[in-house]
Amino acid sequence: MSRFAWCQNLLEYLAGEKDAPPPGFPVALSNFTFWGIWWGILAAIIFIFAGQSSKFIYIDF
Amino acid sequence: MIFNTWDYYLLFLLPAAILFRVSRQSIRPWIIVLSGGLFFLYFSYTQLGGAIGAACLLIFLWESFISRFYKPASWFCWLGVVQTTLFLVVFKYRNFLSSLIWPVSSQNPLYWRNAFLPLGISFFTFEFLHYAWDRYRDKTETGTLGEYMAFILFFPTMVAGPIKRYQDFLPKLRGISSDWVLDVQRGFTRILAGLAKKFAVADLLTAYTNHLNVQDIAHAQRAVLPLWLLAYGIKIYADFSAYSDIAIGSARIFGIKVPENFDWPYFQLNIAEFWRHWHISLSSWLMDYVYVPLGGSRVPMPRIYMNILVTMFISGLWHGAGLNFVVWGLLHGLMLAAHRWWRHRSGAIPSTAFPARAFSWLLTFVAVNLAWAFFCMDIRTALYFFRRLLVG
Repeated sequence: MSRFAWCQNLLEYLAGEKDAPPPGFPVALSNFTFWGIWWGILAAIIFIFAGQSSKFIYIDF
Repeated sequence: MIFNTWDYYLLFLLPAAILFRVSRQSIRPWIIVLSGGLFFLYFSYTQLGGAIGAACLLIFLWESFISRFYKPASWFCWLGVVQTTLFLVVFKYRNFLSSLIWPVSSQNPLYWRNAFLPLGISFFTFEFLHYAWDRYRDKTETGTLGEYMAFILFFPTMVAGPIKRYQDFLPKLRGISSDWVLDVQRGFTRILAGLAKKFAVADLLTAYTNHLNVQDIAHAQRAVLPLWLLAYGIKIYADFSAYSDIAIGSARIFGIKVPENFDWPYFQLNIAEFWRHWHISLSSWLMDYVYVPLGGSRVPMPRIYMNILVTMFISGLWHGAGLNFVVWGLLHGLMLAAHRWWRHRSGAIPSTAFPARAFSWLLTFVAVNLAWAFFCMDIRTALYFFRRLLVG
């Protein structure tokens, strides 16, 4: 697997799309500490940037 | 809105998913039907067409009734195709089509002053059409009334997809994943990632994309113009892929996997690959229900080009009732046809050398992003944008 594909797989794993990590990535789904921190980071991003009002573009189609 | 409201999560997703998980298999479809019906009523009433918008739930009930008559080679299937197309024409294209004949709305006898779009009409009608057509060709089973209603009223995908297929959805409804810890973990992560992408990327870029209007384009420095368009290209990807993330994550919490919609489209090396990775559920729908029935690639080359153009014309029109969307669709049709012609002419396997791949990527990326001009601006503004960009 190329480094680029590995990074894609990692992002997909962190974003909830893939169920298994790319080879060599040590964090399993059962690691609640990691996922708790990761969810905290995502939640912080959401609360920092929320409230800018725009709606989803494709809703009107 | 919807996916970025607390109402969606607290009133609909969590209660419905928990109830769905703990219920017996026989009543699970009806939980989806009930929650989907309430979802449609609630968000139609509060965010779209008020009471009349909410009354459009009758479209689903009528479709559920008439679908019971769909049999292989039956004229009822054609009736389903025609009535669904009429729903779309009446609600979405009536003003646009009639304005082509009567441009002034006050003189247009067919003009609908308070026109509104029923929630998700562009998406649920494509699911109706798929079912009618596949029943006609005997490509899918009927299922029970509850199962079909659950298919069309499954609220995570009701408003903006991904566009599902009945034969793909039915086995998942009948045998949901039993690993609920995995489903909830992955679904919840996907929803959070989608919301973060929406707020931190898509919404942040609105500050730049708001400038894509005549006045701002007229006063802007030329060097800024491509950046604004690039911002729109990134924004629409982040926005719609974020929406799809939330829809897919929500469905996952139910234990149901729905189709993916995006697979790194901006990293593709040609326009055909771009469309295989962008809004995948729509692209594959258009491929199966427009391009292939027209003859697909099994006809002489000139007909293939025409089939591509017709398919992308419909794609453009589907994206919006406006001439700019038609131009956008035809532009992509021309690019796809040109790529087809090039592939046919050269007949060679694409080079794997880095410079060739980099050039292919750049060409595809620039072409796709330039074409967004006709997606986010009306034709006159888009042409003015290009005039300023190229001439000054």
